[in-house]
Amino acid sequence: MLQAVTHFWKQLGRCVQTALYVLLSFSFTAGAAEFSLNIADIAAPDFSARGIALSLPENGSADLRIAELHVRQRGLRNVSLHCASFALSTVSMSCHGGSLAQLPGMTLEFDYRFATGSWQVSAALRNVPGKQLAIFLPAAMPQFNQGELSGMLRISGEASGVAAMAADMQLADMGFSDASGLHAAEKLRGTVKFAAARKAARWNWQGNIAWQSGELFWQPLYLRGEHRISASGSLDGASLKVERAIIDLPEAGRVQFAALWDMKRGVLAECKARGDNLALGKLFADYARPYLDKGALAESSLYGHADMDWQYRDGATQALHLVLRGAGIADAERRFALLGVNSEIDWQADAPRTANIAFAGGALLGVPLGSGQWAVEMRGMEFGVAQGVLPVLDGELELRDFRLHREGAAWHWQFAASLSQVSMEQFSQAAGWSKMLGTLAGSIPRVSYDGDAINVDGALLFNMFDGSVAATQLKLADPFGRAPRLSGNLSMRELDLDLLTRTFSFGNMQGRIDVDVNNLELQNWQPARFDARLSSSAGNYPRKISQKAVQNISALGGAGAVAAIQRSYLRFFENFGYERIGWSCALRNGVCAMGGVDNGNGGAYAIVRGGGIPAITVMGYNRSVSWDELITRLKRVTQGNMQAVVK
Amino acid sequence: MNAVLKFLVALVALTAALNVFAAADLEVNTPGVNAIKQSMQARHAQLAGHYNSGAVGLTADGLIALRDAGAVPLAQRQAVNALVAAENNDRNALYAEIANVNGHPEWQAEIRSTFAQRWIQRAQPGWWVQSGGAWRQK
Repeated sequence: MLQAVTHFWKQLGRCVQTALYVLLSFSFTAGAAEFSLNIADIAAPDFSARGIALSLPENGSADLRIAELHVRQRGLRNVSLHCASFALSTVSMSCHGGSLAQLPGMTLEFDYRFATGSWQVSAALRNVPGKQLAIFLPAAMPQFNQGELSGMLRISGEASGVAAMAADMQLADMGFSDASGLHAAEKLRGTVKFAAARKAARWNWQGNIAWQSGELFWQPLYLRGEHRISASGSLDGASLKVERAIIDLPEAGRVQFAALWDMKRGVLAECKARGDNLALGKLFADYARPYLDKGALAESSLYGHADMDWQYRDGATQALHLVLRGAGIADAERRFALLGVNSEIDWQADAPRTANIAFAGGALLGVPLGSGQWAVEMRGMEFGVAQGVLPVLDGELELRDFRLHREGAAWHWQFAASLSQVSMEQFSQAAGWSKMLGTLAGSIPRVSYDGDAINVDGALLFNMFDGSVAATQLKLADPFGRAPRLSGNLSMRELDLDLLTRTFSFGNMQGRIDVDVNNLELQNWQPARFDARLSSSAGNYPRKISQKAVQNISALGGAGAVAAIQRSYLRFFENFGYERIGWSCALRNGVCAMGGVDNGNGGAYAIVRGGGIPAITVMGYNRSVSWDELITRLKRVTQGNMQAVVK
Repeated sequence: MNAVLKFLVALVALTAALNVFAAADLEVNTPGVNAIKQSMQARHAQLAGHYNSGAVGLTADGLIALRDAGAVPLAQRQAVNALVAAENNDRNALYAEIANVNGHPEWQAEIRSTFAQRWIQRAQPGWWVQSGGAWRQK
């Protein structure tokens, strides 16, 4: 564009100079009141003009008309430049008070020296509607569609090309949009100042943008006014250098940076950025979150403040110095939170470092976590914690050999841990489950995440309801997706029925049971399939079952027994003895195929086999029941509704 | 004779292929499919206004697309972009999941095109749908 402008001046200058001589030769003899000159076409790469007519009335003004003007594929017809005062001599040509018919509100001045080829153009804009600028801008750029522009624009050069330019513009309610609407702005108000000067092949520039109000959407960023940027640097054929830039981000803080953009390769070659006391919440929400895909981090909020010093070179971060003050992260659904983080992190790409990270607390799946301090070893993109303690309610999770590293695009992690003495009562309340009694303790041999699934090696062991729970072959696929799939086997031994039934207000039972759940598969935390079997544990222990529990079991297994008890002498007894309890359910396609202590005869099977005095046997008659229906019934009876409705 | 035989064989093969796909159960009911459907249902309330305004339209490949960002205020354009991306993630997952549940992951393309026709048939008057590469208003 600038070369084209220079070329135009050169060509026009030559023509006018020729015309001048013609004029000087003929003016006396002709004695005409007006001189006019038609110039043949001017053509150059990226630039052409046809039908150029210059007329010089006697009052000292001038009119230049160009029938067709093409600059870089932009076509303009009937360009008409009027100079209120046009001066032409053997050394120079100048225009004052110039105006373009296409741009009312703009005053043009220009000056051209024939001997040196130096020229200068300046334009003063006064409330020029943005829409009128459209014809001067490349079609691929977003087009102005509202507002007005005022200010000064100066370009000067010599025969070799443009040497300097300066702009000082005020935007009043300007708006623009591209065809897709993905790069658009409305009601922009502010000032733009820019100046650049060329020395040989190198441009030195400085600019300043004070954006007061309005809104901008530049996919995916959406920003509002009150941003300020001032920057200076240089530009040569190979690179764009920002020597120093200061950006004021509203409510987030001030960031300073210097950068080198390699124009040939189209990459950021070097960057240093720093900011003090940056508000992490606003910084993340406005400038980082829009770039994140859906996922846990994209739905998270950050808190607190940070000092940051970032050094980037050769395609990678070389060093990052972070001072966190009261920082935190929490996801929208409070599945995960870590708050009150204070730390000074001095990360180096090529040198091992240790960071002491102290945190005030947090939450995991609704369970509150206490404060702690971890020493994190950093070795490039590998992070490790040899040993860390995480308080969980009234107990603690002791983490060992935590390792986090990156393979390709995915983060991989693994750890081993042991959980000591967490009160089940507090845990179940925090997790929003029924109130459970007892304590939760256990060991987690090795948990690892490979970017796709979380795997637990060995057996995950817990103590619950005075018995033991072992989970094996646990695998959680797509853990952070919409429908996580959990698979594995559960083996529970010698659970205390008394604790269990009191927890779920099922009606009291005494004794111990073993539960095996094999081929378990949960989709989105809902059971999709399993083979479950519940049976009395081996050994000697008191075996008692209350009348209420009998009624509830009957209600679950099928109709019949409830009424039978109420009719018989058995209603006088609060508790009964039993010999064995057994129940099984194979869940497939939403249907639970049930069985009892043994396979039974025909349709019926025993869920409780009587023994002792008074003894009772509870039979089940339904061999298959919808899982949803079973859960609904279970909820009814555990909510203390004695009158279970049995269909 | 040979040509007739070839034709018959081709015809039998074609009808067999159609029969094979016709066996796909599109109404499968698994927790995975349910989770996707619930997620899509919850999102529909947010998307309905954008279908009405013409900002978002239904594509011929069973997805949705932002067709006129100008119909959405600047402040909400990224949110609508995100809604469209999330909806398309769900739709792709739904087609894959239904194919998997049917035990024929290779049926995904047919399931997708069946759903595409269904979505477009059920689109309300005034909504924009894609046919033959161009947008038209129902």
